[in-house]
Amino acid sequence: MDVTFIILSLITVVGAIWAVTLRNLIHGVLSLVLFFFGVAGFFFYLNADFVGWVQILVYVGAVAILAIFAIMLTHNLTAKDEPGFFSLRWLTGMAIAAAVGAVLWFAIKNNAAMLQTAPAGVTSSVADIGRKMMTDWVVPFEVVSLLLTAAMIGAIVIAMEQISHRK
Amino acid sequence: MYNFFDQLILTLGAWVVGLVVACGNGVSKFCCGQPLSEAAAHNVAAGTEIVLICVTIYGVFALCFGLATWLERKMLARIQNRYGPNRVGPFGLFQFVADGVKMLTKEDIVPARADKLVHFLAPAVVLAPALLMFAFLPFGRNMAPTNLDTAVIAFFAVGAGSEMALFMAGWGSRNKYSILGAMRAVAQMISYEIPLVLAAVPVVMVVGSLSTSQIVAAQGADGFLDMSRWFVWTPWGFAGFILFLVAATAESNRCPFDLPEGESELVAGFHVEYSGFKFALFFMAEYIGMMAMAGLGVTLFLGGWHGPKLLPSWMWFMGKGFLIVCWLIWLRGTLPRLRVDQLMAFAWKAMLPFALFNIFTTAVWFHLPKATLLQSAVAWLVTAALVAAAYWVVSRFVCRRAGALRVYHYAS
Repeated sequence: MDVTFIILSLITVVGAIWAVTLRNLIHGVLSLVLFFFGVAGFFFYLNADFVGWVQILVYVGAVAILAIFAIMLTHNLTAKDEPGFFSLRWLTGMAIAAAVGAVLWFAIKNNAAMLQTAPAGVTSSVADIGRKMMTDWVVPFEVVSLLLTAAMIGAIVIAMEQISHRK
Repeated sequence: MYNFFDQLILTLGAWVVGLVVACGNGVSKFCCGQPLSEAAAHNVAAGTEIVLICVTIYGVFALCFGLATWLERKMLARIQNRYGPNRVGPFGLFQFVADGVKMLTKEDIVPARADKLVHFLAPAVVLAPALLMFAFLPFGRNMAPTNLDTAVIAFFAVGAGSEMALFMAGWGSRNKYSILGAMRAVAQMISYEIPLVLAAVPVVMVVGSLSTSQIVAAQGADGFLDMSRWFVWTPWGFAGFILFLVAATAESNRCPFDLPEGESELVAGFHVEYSGFKFALFFMAEYIGMMAMAGLGVTLFLGGWHGPKLLPSWMWFMGKGFLIVCWLIWLRGTLPRLRVDQLMAFAWKAMLPFALFNIFTTAVWFHLPKATLLQSAVAWLVTAALVAAAYWVVSRFVCRRAGALRVYHYAS
């Protein structure tokens, strides 16, 4: 355990805990940004600097901004009917979180490739990532692109319906 | 002689590093009776080098910020047929020093209902990305602060952090003009970031690397004829450069894209509630961000620090950057502010399709043979025709209605 790892873990864990516990939603989003920076720091720490920069570009630059717009465009944000500590919603949420955690844990545990450490001297340069994406992983890459395009068109269609209703 | 001036800053830096290591040796001999071990001396030298690089970059660009404010006021005054600052120093040149002192001595006002922590943090958070962006630009021969092979994407990623800071400023002030300005700033920056990055993609495609040092190296040597290898002289490079400049203007919230500040409707946008030096930090972040964008434009399209051997390489870099900054000031003095709907329509309906088509054109250029002069000329003409056709289609059909009168849903 070296100092870098401890500092990054502190930033990440504190950011994540604040993001879900702070009462003020905007403070929550700002803590989430702290958490994203911590995760990006972990990628740099693991010598995956391309993934780290993309993490900042996409999550800080776009996802957090999207969350802010979602909060700003939501009516009745300060609703009084917040559930109590032991409400059913809490239990459902915890059950879902536990289920997701269990699936992830088993997936990692049973995947041999995930458990072995990378052999020394392996670098993950942008050129390598690009080459892999255009050769071995070209089909998943295209499928993801198609999915994103479909999502974008869907969003536009929903927005257009709202505009035509208003008129 | 040329090499001496070209490497002058590096020589000075090496001299200071040597001096610090020698001092460390002296202190070590005095305290422990023996000179520093080899590893310790290496660490001292590396640490001194990092501090020196940071101090030099921040010092030089803080001074450039001061001079840029003076230049902007002088040029705008010239455009508007008045004198501009002319009291402090020759031609009012030391106006920025007086302004700095004024900012430092002003009262720091925090609104009573403001979110104290967010309001306090925002000016620092907005300045940090602007300063960090310089870490990825090569300033001259052997003068790149870092040598990442992901430098271009790192530059944009760091720049994306400033959106969050502007939102923090607007929201933390608890003022409706601030929050309106901040939401406008965020929406505008996230929209123009897409054409900005897409404008840089052709250069990355042709060079085959995200490293700024390699992009500069791909744009030739230091003769007069080598200037023809700057990417701006190719059709796709020219289109990309124009797209980049427009998107960079919007990204640094400058006129004609300064709606987030919009004095006539929002007082001063996201920094209404900032006074004294906190306001100066916002001002500084805007100018330093603008200079960093100009630096990236120079690196990507104008051959970086390359130029005929009349001037040292770092002077070429600073000179080209200075020209871009002058162009931005000229633009500010010339064009009126856009409307919000025009701004968004321009980003999504004009710049985005044109940038996408420019990437396609670059792919055509990349695969056309360019071995002989005739083949190069054919490739140039074909891509130029493609760019012109794309411009015609986009301006004629895609964003035809962008200039139309606005329909007010609730007011008309």
